[in-house]
Amino acid sequence: MATAVSNALAIQGRVIQALMLRETKTRYGLLKLGYVWALIEPALQVGVFVAIFTLAGRESASGMPLVLFLITGITPFLAFRKSLQQVTAAVKANRQLLTFPQVTLFDLVFARLWLEAVTMVVVFILLVFFSQYLGEQVNIENLLGVCIAFLLMQLTAAGLGMLFCSLTPFLPSIHKLVNPFLGRPLFFTSGLFFTAEMLPPAVRDLLLYNPLLHLIEYLRSSFFYEFHSVYYDLGYAGAWALATFTLGIAAMTVNRDRLLNR
Amino acid sequence: MIELEHVTKTYRTRKGPHTVLDDISVHLPAGRNVGILGVNGAGKSTLLRLLSGVEKPDSGVIRNNVRLSWPLGFRGGFQGKLSGRENAKFVARIYGAEVQPFIEFVEQFSELGKFFDQPIYTYSSGMRARFAFAVSLAADFDCYLVDEATAVGDQRFKDRYRQAFEERKQRADILMVSHNPETIRRDCDMGAVLHQGKITLYDDVEEAIDAYMEINRSAKQAARLRQTKGESQDLKADS
Repeated sequence: MATAVSNALAIQGRVIQALMLRETKTRYGLLKLGYVWALIEPALQVGVFVAIFTLAGRESASGMPLVLFLITGITPFLAFRKSLQQVTAAVKANRQLLTFPQVTLFDLVFARLWLEAVTMVVVFILLVFFSQYLGEQVNIENLLGVCIAFLLMQLTAAGLGMLFCSLTPFLPSIHKLVNPFLGRPLFFTSGLFFTAEMLPPAVRDLLLYNPLLHLIEYLRSSFFYEFHSVYYDLGYAGAWALATFTLGIAAMTVNRDRLLNR
Repeated sequence: MIELEHVTKTYRTRKGPHTVLDDISVHLPAGRNVGILGVNGAGKSTLLRLLSGVEKPDSGVIRNNVRLSWPLGFRGGFQGKLSGRENAKFVARIYGAEVQPFIEFVEQFSELGKFFDQPIYTYSSGMRARFAFAVSLAADFDCYLVDEATAVGDQRFKDRYRQAFEERKQRADILMVSHNPETIRRDCDMGAVLHQGKITLYDDVEEAIDAYMEINRSAKQAARLRQTKGESQDLKADS
């Protein structure tokens, strides 16, 4: 029994690894330098926002240095949004691979999730080092907290992504709707450019329904010695992550046949 | 050994459910080459997809203790933007095969030359078929699932394919579906007939072929009957 389980795990590990290598190849082109572009692109995205806000004359936010304030908001959010998009389209983009009996629906999902998460963690680290090189003081108060926030955001992205993915048979273009209808509103309401404290109370109460706002507040509270938010509720965000992830897995399982046959 | 127990598969159509496999139970022993005969639309490809695990049955269990191939020569699993070499690498990896010898076999057998490193979408359909067969043959299976066994390419490739296929038959079993009794007779020593959602297994392949021919004959007769009926009705309408 134990060997059967470890055997199955070995196969799944092999499949996910092969899928990741393959995704990297298809997505970033056939050049050896392709993956470097995967790092540069999101780094540039963050860089553009940092530049805009710096030029707009904002000095700092709630005591945090502006550049790091923006990096700690935008990077995890972009990671969330990319994972959400990638997971939503996971089956549509790779259905032909399901002909290989080893490849399961969840392999397609987790290969993409891993690739995005690993890439964005590397981007985050690079950006933090780069800003330090440019003269920012980087002292992380609680690295574990930063990791937990990032992880919970990825779990939520995966859960929502699997939920949407399982709707593909009913709504084939759903992967095109995710960004305009969910990604963009969340971009402006998750605290990328503000903290909960800076908001008028009425707006704040409303936006605190968004679990991402909690997680970004928590991430920044863990990252900076200078900042400690009283508004985040880690249990609330954790419940969201767990609920969406469980529902996502269930929805994919229930819809398995429809996803395979479409 | 492959075992199906009360396997049912139904597809939804616009005109209600269509049951392709209806409560099928069958035991295919190891060491035999089984040929499954069925007319077009009898559910042969569905059966292969269930066996290779691409689809799950609505109810029932499929058990096997052997390494089953995906349907031989199947071209669906490849990514057009990647080269033949990269696609072959992917298959080698997910099957846990040693990548280097696997690639070498595919490169040699498919005879794609420098196209081996070109994206697959640039291949002609003959090249694509050669590549697909090469990949299926490079992996080591206990049982090969074969759909229609249509050899492809020019005569020379057909011969080489035939030779490689015979070689695999020495060490592995074949499970073939076809509507053509000749292919089944050539490659199989055990037969089955898939008809109206039910499967009947015959220990002797010739018995299976006889039963299959009988089904075809009665189907033809029924068609002829319908036709003459139709004609007589037309005559009535004319008069």
